[in-house]
Amino acid sequence: MQSSFLKKKPKVNGAEESQGVRGWLDRRYQLTPLVEFLRHKEVPIGSHWMGWYYLGGITMFFFVVQVVTGVLLLMYYQPGEATAYESIRFLTTKVPFGWLIRSIHSWSAHLMIISLTLHMFSTMMLKAYRPPREMTWVSGYMLFLLTLGFGFSGYLLPWNKLAYFATTVGTNIVKSVPLLGDWLLQVLRGGQDVTINTLYRFFAAHVVILPLGFVGIIALHLLLIQRQGMAPPVGATIAPRGMKFFPSFALRDALLWLACLMALATLAVFLPYGPGIPGMDWELGEKADPLAPAYPGIKPEWYFLWEYQLLKEFPPHLFGLEGPQVCLLLIGVLFGIWAIIPWLDRRAYHDKPSPAFSDFGWAAILFLTYLTLMGWDIGARGISDELAAMHNVARVCASWTLVVGALVIVVRYWKFGGRWFILSGAALLQVALHGLAGVSYLLSGVIAVAVAAIAIAISYMTNSRTDAGDAK
Amino acid sequence: MNERAEAAPATSRRHFLDLLLGASFLGWLISIAYPIIRYLKPLPQTGPTGPAHLTRDETSKLEQNKFVIVPVSGQRVLVLQAGDQLHAFSAKCTHEGCTVTFLPGQSVIWCPCHDGRFDLNGRVLSGPPPRPLTQYLAQRQTDGAIVISEEKAQG
Amino acid sequence: MRAIAIVVGGFLISRAIFAADQAPAAGNSKLTAMLAAKDANGKPIITPEEQAYFSGLNDNLRALLDDLVQKEVITRPEHLATLLGLQLRPQKMEVLLQNRCVLCHTDPESQSAENLFSVGTTSRQSAVHMNLKEVIEDVHFRRGLSCAGCHGGDPTADFGHGFVKEWPEKDRQKNRAWVVEFCARCHSDPKMMHDFNPSLPTDQLAKFKDSPHGRTLLDKHDDRAPSCVSCHGVHGIRPAKDPQSKVYAQRVPETCGACHADAKTMAGFTRADGSPMPITQLAEFRESVHGRALLVRGDLGAPACNTCHGNHAASPPSVAQVSRSCSLCHSANASLFDGSKHKQAFDQHRWPECGQCHSNHAIAKTHDSMLATGPGQLCGDCHREYARDHPDCIKTADYFHDTITQLDQARTRFIAVSERFAGRGLDVEPINNQLTELGDALKKSRTYVHSFSRNTFQQVAAPGEEAVKQTDALIKKAGEEFKFRQIGLVMSISFIGLLMLAMYLKLRQMEK
Repeated sequence: MQSSFLKKKPKVNGAEESQGVRGWLDRRYQLTPLVEFLRHKEVPIGSHWMGWYYLGGITMFFFVVQVVTGVLLLMYYQPGEATAYESIRFLTTKVPFGWLIRSIHSWSAHLMIISLTLHMFSTMMLKAYRPPREMTWVSGYMLFLLTLGFGFSGYLLPWNKLAYFATTVGTNIVKSVPLLGDWLLQVLRGGQDVTINTLYRFFAAHVVILPLGFVGIIALHLLLIQRQGMAPPVGATIAPRGMKFFPSFALRDALLWLACLMALATLAVFLPYGPGIPGMDWELGEKADPLAPAYPGIKPEWYFLWEYQLLKEFPPHLFGLEGPQVCLLLIGVLFGIWAIIPWLDRRAYHDKPSPAFSDFGWAAILFLTYLTLMGWDIGARGISDELAAMHNVARVCASWTLVVGALVIVVRYWKFGGRWFILSGAALLQVALHGLAGVSYLLSGVIAVAVAAIAIAISYMTNSRTDAGDAK
Repeated sequence: MNERAEAAPATSRRHFLDLLLGASFLGWLISIAYPIIRYLKPLPQTGPTGPAHLTRDETSKLEQNKFVIVPVSGQRVLVLQAGDQLHAFSAKCTHEGCTVTFLPGQSVIWCPCHDGRFDLNGRVLSGPPPRPLTQYLAQRQTDGAIVISEEKAQG
Repeated sequence: MRAIAIVVGGFLISRAIFAADQAPAAGNSKLTAMLAAKDANGKPIITPEEQAYFSGLNDNLRALLDDLVQKEVITRPEHLATLLGLQLRPQKMEVLLQNRCVLCHTDPESQSAENLFSVGTTSRQSAVHMNLKEVIEDVHFRRGLSCAGCHGGDPTADFGHGFVKEWPEKDRQKNRAWVVEFCARCHSDPKMMHDFNPSLPTDQLAKFKDSPHGRTLLDKHDDRAPSCVSCHGVHGIRPAKDPQSKVYAQRVPETCGACHADAKTMAGFTRADGSPMPITQLAEFRESVHGRALLVRGDLGAPACNTCHGNHAASPPSVAQVSRSCSLCHSANASLFDGSKHKQAFDQHRWPECGQCHSNHAIAKTHDSMLATGPGQLCGDCHREYARDHPDCIKTADYFHDTITQLDQARTRFIAVSERFAGRGLDVEPINNQLTELGDALKKSRTYVHSFSRNTFQQVAAPGEEAVKQTDALIKKAGEEFKFRQIGLVMSISFIGLLMLAMYLKLRQMEK
């Protein structure tokens, strides 16, 4: 019996059997159902802004850029005491277009984290995490953590002074983990201190371990999105027919990616070492020297500034534990809450508008903004006395955050009909208490949380549980 | 579907658009591929990273004058030959930073600015320099190339 | 029976030996009692730190202390507290404990206030020579010398008070000429010095006698002149390498200035030419490059007063000596000058070569404008006055000035450009290498000015000018590289833009 593969197919117009490459593939791998699925895949459109749907793709685009430029950098980078710094110096000065590859790699890293943050907060506000998409949220959250790991491990690789001290400060935190602290520190650093062994481990993490994990989880993340389609926001009116993913959405996606590429190229040529903001500056500088004293004004990268600042706000001892331990605990709790939001948000669970959680998202944004601004020491210029500088920094950053927060509230109230402001209000209260009234950061936080709890309790008791207006 | 009457100009417009798309896509690919291809081609001189290799010019200068000053990672380094031993030191005098030179006849490293003198271990012999010269590692490889690298304490 | 007797006897004998070993135990009780003594309020007189110090002493020192207590040299806990509170290191403690002079002179019961050593950290009080800590740190406070070496007597005797016969009985505080002979008893005796410090020279007195200081003191019998103790101190004499010594390099200017910057002390003294002795040297030195290097930057290679003037043979240098002093460090400039036309001219005028242009004490940082020939500028003014029949020399000065200024300005310009380029991500290492060459050439040029010869000057200026040319070329290349990047960017942006346009149109078309 002759195999159906080998029988020559008659050319029939409009017949189901396809010809050429497509036919060849289809006969072997039954791609038709897949192709049909993709052809009918739709993106929900309606009264909501489509823009948010592009952020995930943009993040992925930046990641692809990272992989490509990363592989190219691997061709010349050599980890090692005498070669890490020198190889990057050689790469950026002598290798043709080496400056371009490195600059794009650095810029794309920061832009990826920015777009990832926007993507995370937009999906959070739009409640895309509600069933059936809980695991999409969780996998995305894991991707977020992996990306931070990428940023942290990659930062050390040039083996320059800035990276060396930033890594020393950053890995020091791990000491405060109870029981495992010392073990974790040694495993992370490859010893007690940051040495070239740390570089070897970070290199392995950055180039193999994290990419493997990332690719695995992003495959899952994309698979889930493909299977379940993109989530429409709660309470928005959805058009009966969505926008076709191929070609409409995909081409728009591609257009945006090309625009991002254009931005990357321009930034690489005109700002090859970053915008010059502390924490966002990758000029190669001097080679790391473990015997030299610490870098003055050492700061971690901007996306870690909030943690760095938060650690500074804790006293050396609290509740019988060390300050940093309590801080880590708090951060762990916050991160944990963020991870299980799909199960905490009961209203979104039932597809109902959930203004409380939108407000929670805004509170988180304001919380992070205030800490990051303070981490940048904005307002400290020209003041020599440390204590006075700290107070001024708190005051200036608080003013900025309050302005932004007020703006957010106004826009939410007017444009989106929001009425739920307890949590973001509490965040602003903490900002005002600490920055303007000089109350300690922790105490202001406790007061704000208490006020919020009371307000929530009151609102539960006085309001009946009806859908209060539109969500946002 | 377009009507037959419009089919001809429509298809030609579509054809043009496809052409434009294809051509611009190709152009874009080239603008990406060109830098990558040039990047991947290795440079003529070998081993560019880390320790510095002496160029042909520098090696011949070394043979002629018994010393040469070369840049290593942005620092000037004095490479000298005493007998058949290679030495390398920072060429920056520890007094006021002038570039030192080697006097082969006296086996002395000399700073002409204030007559500071160093021995072949970099230690100060006379004159105002307060500290010895930092030592670098000078190695002659099997193929005759001379490599200068920073001398690091073990650790 | 015999066995028992032997055993018991052996036991008793070993106990006796053991007890004898512990003999101080019997005497210990006096010392122990003193250590545990309390004052009227019940507080222990010997503080815990002093107790700790005592416990840390070795057996020899503790035995010495115990011995002194036994012999009732130390009778009161307060006295013991004073001695323990000094926290001396072992060798000093040993010398002290064997020195009855100090032991007696630290006991308020035995001495009147003016004969009592005070205890405390070094301070500039008037009776500093009675500060015990200063005395302890004196190089002479050691075995074989200490108090008796100068004051005479027997430090081991109970109340020995033999005073040295070379000390004049009367007028010891005025008419200090005896001091130098007194110190020289040992310090000019090579055999004596060999016993204590073989590497010290022994010619200080000979040098001093022949110096203005010596002649003023010994020949003119003027007590304002310095003797040994004026510079070295009385009791706290430390080696010159010790930063606390009055003759440590960084403290020499203020030690010399104690007299030479004081109008009252210097009143009436004149220089060789009859003009009054100036008192501005210290102030001028402090402002000079040498003063700043030595006193502010801490560069011990910089000269203090004694480097150029000598210390024991201190005297103003003769005209010829000035340049020879300077050439000790500035050998390159000196050798260039010696071969130059200026040497002849300056020697004819009997000018002090280096000092004529650079001053002696107020040596300021040199400035390129010194070479300029305008009115009020160094080369020009001098030449217009003294070298009117050599007009081409002024042209040479102009040439030096212009070349150096050009090199300097080029360097400043290039540094700014290099920084700008580095910020743009360009490779500035070749430029910086050339800048190093240029910097070196500039330094050398400013030195080779002292040859006052165009040819010699050209030798070092030419590489500088070459470096300028090279840097210019490199900067142009870097600029071109940046332009290349910009053009590349424009090209890729246009490709991307075109592609985006094509895609957008295609999209519109597909969605129609």
